[in-house]
Amino acid sequence: MNKENLQGKEYWRSLDQLADTPEFRKYLENEFPEGIGEDNSLSRRNFIALMGASMALGGLLGGCRRPVEKIIPYVTPPEEIIPGVANRYATTMPFGNSAYGLIVESHEGRPTKIEGNPDHPSTMGMSNVFLQASILGLYDPDRSKAVLHDGQEAEWSEFVEFWNGQYEKLSKNKGDGLAILSESFSSPTLARLAGQFKRKFPKAKWVAYEPVGDENIFEGVRIASGQALRPVYHYNKAKVVLSLDSDFLYDESENITSAKGYADGRRLKSEKDDMNRLYMVESGFSVTGGMADHRIRLRSRLIGSLTAALIRELDSSGLNAGGILPDINFIAAPELDRKWIKVVARDLINNKRRCLVVAGHDQPAGVHAMVYAINHALGNIGNTVEYYSMNDSLTSNRAEFASLTNDMNEGHVDTLVVLGGNPVYNAYSDLGFNSAMKKVENTIHLSSHVDETSKEANWHIPQAHYLESWGDVVSVHGIKSVVQPMIAPLYDGHSAYELANLIATGEEKGGYEIVVETWGGIINGDFERSWNRVLHDGLFIDKKSSAKKTGLNSGSVKNHLKKNISSYHAVLGEDIEISFAVSPAVYDGRFANNGWLQELPDPITKLAWDNAAQISHNTANKLDVNNEDLIEIEYRGKKIEAPVWVVPGHADNAITLTLGYGRNSCGRIGDGVGYNAYLLRNSDAPAFDTGVAINKTGRIYKLASSQDHSSMEGRPIVREATLEEYRDHPEFAPGMVEHPPLKNLWDDHSYEEGYQWGMTIDLNSCIGCNACTIACQSENNIPIVGKNEFSKGREMHWIRLDRYFTGDVENPEMVHQPIACQHCENAPCEQVCPVAATVHDKEGLNTMVYNRCVGTRYCSNNCPYKVRRFNYLNFTKDTPESMKMAQNPDVTVRSRGVMEKCTYCVQRISEAKIKSKADGRDIVDGEIVTACQQSCLTNAIVFGNINDPESEVSKIKSRNRNYELLKELNVRPRTSFLARVRNLNPELDDSKKETSN
Amino acid sequence: MSASIEKKTAEFEQPLIAGNPSFDSVTNSICNIIENKPPRLWYIAISVAGSFALMFFGLIAYLIWEGTGIWGLQVPVAWGWAIVNFVFWVGIGHAGTLISAILFLLRQRWRTSINRFAEAMTIMAVIVAGIFPAIHVGRVWALHWVFPLPNQMGLWPNFRSPLLWDFFAVGTYFSCSFMFWYVGLIPDLATLRDRAKSKIKKIIFGIFAVGWRGGNRQWRHYEVAYLLLAGISTPLVLSVHSVVSTDFAVSIVPGWHTTIFPPYFVAGAIFSGFAMVLTLAIIARKIYGLENFITVNHLEKMNKIMLVTSMIVGYAYSCEFFIAWYGGNEYEGFAFLNRAFGPYAWAYWIMITCNVVVPQLFWFKKLRRSIPVMFIASIFINIGMWFERFVIVVSSLAADFLPSSWDYFSPTIFDIGFLLGSFGLFFTLFLLFLRFLPMIAMSEVKGVLPQADPHHHDKTEHN
Amino acid sequence: MTKGKIVIAEFDGAAGLFKAAEKLRDSGYKKFDCHSPFPIHGMDDAMGIKRSKLGFIAGAFAVIGFVGAVLLQWWASSVEYPLVISGKPFFSYQAYLPVTFAVAVLLAALAAVVGMLAMNKLPRWNHPLFKSELFEKFGDNGFFVTIESTDPKFDDQQTSDFLKSIGAGAIDSVDGVS
Repeated sequence: MNKENLQGKEYWRSLDQLADTPEFRKYLENEFPEGIGEDNSLSRRNFIALMGASMALGGLLGGCRRPVEKIIPYVTPPEEIIPGVANRYATTMPFGNSAYGLIVESHEGRPTKIEGNPDHPSTMGMSNVFLQASILGLYDPDRSKAVLHDGQEAEWSEFVEFWNGQYEKLSKNKGDGLAILSESFSSPTLARLAGQFKRKFPKAKWVAYEPVGDENIFEGVRIASGQALRPVYHYNKAKVVLSLDSDFLYDESENITSAKGYADGRRLKSEKDDMNRLYMVESGFSVTGGMADHRIRLRSRLIGSLTAALIRELDSSGLNAGGILPDINFIAAPELDRKWIKVVARDLINNKRRCLVVAGHDQPAGVHAMVYAINHALGNIGNTVEYYSMNDSLTSNRAEFASLTNDMNEGHVDTLVVLGGNPVYNAYSDLGFNSAMKKVENTIHLSSHVDETSKEANWHIPQAHYLESWGDVVSVHGIKSVVQPMIAPLYDGHSAYELANLIATGEEKGGYEIVVETWGGIINGDFERSWNRVLHDGLFIDKKSSAKKTGLNSGSVKNHLKKNISSYHAVLGEDIEISFAVSPAVYDGRFANNGWLQELPDPITKLAWDNAAQISHNTANKLDVNNEDLIEIEYRGKKIEAPVWVVPGHADNAITLTLGYGRNSCGRIGDGVGYNAYLLRNSDAPAFDTGVAINKTGRIYKLASSQDHSSMEGRPIVREATLEEYRDHPEFAPGMVEHPPLKNLWDDHSYEEGYQWGMTIDLNSCIGCNACTIACQSENNIPIVGKNEFSKGREMHWIRLDRYFTGDVENPEMVHQPIACQHCENAPCEQVCPVAATVHDKEGLNTMVYNRCVGTRYCSNNCPYKVRRFNYLNFTKDTPESMKMAQNPDVTVRSRGVMEKCTYCVQRISEAKIKSKADGRDIVDGEIVTACQQSCLTNAIVFGNINDPESEVSKIKSRNRNYELLKELNVRPRTSFLARVRNLNPELDDSKKETSN
Repeated sequence: MSASIEKKTAEFEQPLIAGNPSFDSVTNSICNIIENKPPRLWYIAISVAGSFALMFFGLIAYLIWEGTGIWGLQVPVAWGWAIVNFVFWVGIGHAGTLISAILFLLRQRWRTSINRFAEAMTIMAVIVAGIFPAIHVGRVWALHWVFPLPNQMGLWPNFRSPLLWDFFAVGTYFSCSFMFWYVGLIPDLATLRDRAKSKIKKIIFGIFAVGWRGGNRQWRHYEVAYLLLAGISTPLVLSVHSVVSTDFAVSIVPGWHTTIFPPYFVAGAIFSGFAMVLTLAIIARKIYGLENFITVNHLEKMNKIMLVTSMIVGYAYSCEFFIAWYGGNEYEGFAFLNRAFGPYAWAYWIMITCNVVVPQLFWFKKLRRSIPVMFIASIFINIGMWFERFVIVVSSLAADFLPSSWDYFSPTIFDIGFLLGSFGLFFTLFLLFLRFLPMIAMSEVKGVLPQADPHHHDKTEHN
Repeated sequence: MTKGKIVIAEFDGAAGLFKAAEKLRDSGYKKFDCHSPFPIHGMDDAMGIKRSKLGFIAGAFAVIGFVGAVLLQWWASSVEYPLVISGKPFFSYQAYLPVTFAVAVLLAALAAVVGMLAMNKLPRWNHPLFKSELFEKFGDNGFFVTIESTDPKFDDQQTSDFLKSIGAGAIDSVDGVS
């Protein structure tokens, strides 16, 4: 096969060169002037490239694939590709030390939609916002398009030349002064290359750095167990969960499976079912906090004390937590609620082996060590939490990163290769990485954009997107899978694999070769067959990967705690705590140029296009500031300015800054959005610290929020009850509204015939993670409107998440409710349209006829749910050419002046209908999956034929928690909600909240 | 017969037309306005109004080029000032036809001094009003789809939509008012034709006078036609604003979904219409010295009507609140509390002050007959009625069923520009009318002079 | 225009004209008319002519408009292209009322105006009477009787004598008849 492969390469390479010749380019430019748009993102050359890629992909499926990785023109269309019919391929998205298996929908060679891979344990067919939105990163018109040498455009070959020179030099001195700074990874191939690198350059360093990651978790587990392990949580098996500052439903790694497991643990078919109970301790309000049955606000720094106090409590309740605590009175901190701890401890003990305690990645290693000890003592290890060894992984390490920076500063490093990442922007400010980098003679930076770091580097290499390059990853469960390209590199980027290989071996190799080389060692037996299997399934089941048996090394935990006692035992008083949170939208800043994510309302604050300084009501009053007041935050001599946003339920005397904003070199979307909180971040206090001074500037900074009003005004919108209430009144949800019999004045239209589409949304499962919003945006070509329009209230999202606070202002509960078109049978929007542009079809869909719409906006006024979106301006006018490639050809792009809204993914319905017709059968239940439903982490959304009593949606609609929003208007919505239930602990129920009416 | 007429005239402290003029003095004093150079004030006025009108057209061009996004609209407030202005101007457009039609049928002969004038105002107002629904849609170029025009798709408009009713109702109203006005003009145009000195004027007036000869064989058809138009327009006056009100009443938006809207809107329309007539009449009679034709009696009568309608409107306001409370619908209840005490309270109280409090002045005869007082009052009422529509349209939309979608509407510079521009266009059209057409119906005025009665010769002074 | 002439006689005010009309009627003149700046009450009887039929025409058109509108709306939304809108019946006649009303009214109004002009043989840009200087002030304060030579009882001399006898002031005549 290698011979074949070579031939292939020979042949295609020549064509490739043809495509490269200037004359050829010129000729193309004449032919397609518009092809070279403002950003010249889709030149004919790339177009051929992607056509070629689809050919290549054609090969990827099924038995007889030839490893074609270079591009070819679309002369003989491959049989797999039928114009108009989407192909789906498996791949994997690497994310920190995690791996997320994906199925990518591809139209004529353009990947257009990302879904989870049902077979992959980390996604199970679902996908979070980052996975969904990553496809836009592929088509980002601001991606770097050429190798840069000292800012000048250069050819890749020049760099190879340069490196060969370096390679000679470095080989002689065993790589002295050479260092690689990469992102953390779990990848067999990169691990192999790292090994080769170490062997070749024994004196060189390979350090991994991530601004946000699981370093503390790994460290804590190492301290407690003595091994390099990572936890895998089984929330579905836990009856009681205690989360110590862990937003495991949203920003912790593996949040997809966590959310799924958590939701599975509290699904209620009827009032007889049982559900898990979640206790939450946190500083800022998080998605997980919103789902908690009992939540207390506590400054992050005090959570260590609380953990210790909990251990004491467990000990005194006769459970031996291993005597890991230095003898100090941890309960001293006045902020700690003794009763709460007692009750929680009892609840945990009553659920030995069926409970789970988790801590957030921001908590220091010691807390994780203690948590390990607690889980160990409760017998949860092996039941609700398992530990897998970390093979083929390199994890971010603050200490090593600091020492590397130090070496750079002292001039011990003369060649620095930065494999991805953006340290100049996000390194700890105390390290002064920027200046250190200037001291290094040769700096090489691989990145998708010419970012802050690239600007400082001598060499910038465009990085290929994971959808354009070969690679491999290991999931938390030790399951290996391959990253395979969906499309040939749009801007001749190179992957970390290719660069690392060049650095380590001095020879230039394609990503495919490099990966196959590794997998030759992984797969034993018939390579060809199992390799194809891996590519087809998207993962490789390795018998060897299974959970480790682990014990507790109390001694080392005790020592660690002693050594760092100040981190776990603090009395803060009125000191204001500053803490840094990862952004729910742009993560650590890597998605800053992703329009979908920038415009995604924060699940809690509902802010988009900015980050704010979040504080509680009390603290706001204390500091005498209001929303949008610009404050100056001074910390260790450094100052930044940030606008205030008051978040009910935020811990007092604490201020949360969101990381990932304030970029100045990421592209047209993200530049200058928000403030850069990294400037205040120090390596010794990466997550939180006290000792900040806050001064008012007297200036106002306008923030854009998608929801101005957070109270339900006592209206029965999100209906909830406690578990007891539910058991006493199983029909509480529909019973919350009294209304006369809902009869029409005329004979109803009959919807008995054929398919009748309907949807249910279980508010007991919905965590408000926004995945549905992004999935919908991707599936339905929903435009980005920008901060200005967004702040006017013109966002276009077809499905939005309404967030309400209920109960006490200082310590409220939070509920989320996804609202899309309810497809009312008596749709109020229809009768008011003068041109009948929105009408009902016989399957009960409220259809919107864009071509007929004249844009009176009357329908929007008359929609009680306000789900209709209007193109006030031509929002799609300046969509860059490359972004257009991300659009779904099955969905119309709407022009200015027309109304639009959720269609129940009518294009997917039609696709299924066509298929079923072709097979001469009916559509089976679950065959049609709407985009929102597909991405939903908790399967809260169910769609199907309500005419079929056996369909899941019908069954769910018959449950007693089922209610229709605003039913009393007799609009007869096809979407219904299932009321939310909180499983309160009777012992803590004194703070009993009223249900929402 | 003569007795009845005496009774009618006796209703006035003074005769309908002061100074007891002769036929030709009527003709002269009214025709001279048109035949002589207009006063300087007129030139100043037209240049100001004209420039605003031009700005209006400029803004419309920009709107069509850029899209409705230039206004402060969003979701939930998808209707803003454009619709407010529409309802406002349609309302203004009610007084004219009311005066000409209903007062005609009620044999209120004092109307003759002001009806031409009021009708003209009606037509200008409806022209201005009609512009707004046309330009406020997202795709102006597809607007003709609202009319039942045969097309290859076999598509028809949705006859259930109040907006469609609007297009028909307002269209009909405009056509009828226009015909009514024009038919009224014919005899006077003939007069002007026969007085015209220059050939060109002769031709133009000649064309529009359609060869009128004032023979009784023409008068007899003419009078019936006029009577019919009056009879037809009367229900229109009531129906148009009722239909406009269904734009709101038929919807389910709390604060819109109210059955009292039709009468309430009609009363409001007449209220605002008379206010506008008054404003214009006071200015016109001052500029052109028509105190004899438009006497304080006329103005006082209008003030009385305004007092009545203001109280109807005030009653409607309170009635809404009562029903909101009595109906026990939490959404409606909130909508009205929100109106009076929510973020738009300022607008609501401006409305109450201007529409309910200010007109109470007219209880006092002295104030009712004082030109400055009624002038200022009429302006307040115009403002108040604009705010009434603003309160209804915006505050209801801004906070409906789901609090999550509540939002605050803030106008852009363009919203303001369109409002000012619409006034510019209105006054331009009106000033042109004053300049080129008889602002008082000569033939009708002559008809109510004492000597116009064939059995009145004994009283008639010859000249 | 056929040969002939029209005699124009001015009378003194509405009263004078009214009396003249009655006299002309009694003495059997048919093709005469009384011109005044405004309609004079009871002149129809004075001249012995019947009331106008315009009302019936307008009424007829109102009915046509009403029926037509109902038919159109019924056909368009329940026969030609029935669409399910807000779950309402295809023929929701209640909702069709405003349009029906508007169309009926519009047609009636048009009929009234067009009918009026037609019955008055208008528009007509020229007419023999316009040749007369005297006649010009009919729109101002002139009250005239005009008698056409086509009237059987017309006789150049007698007619003008008769007019004088019933109190005519200035007398003029123009060639041509309407």
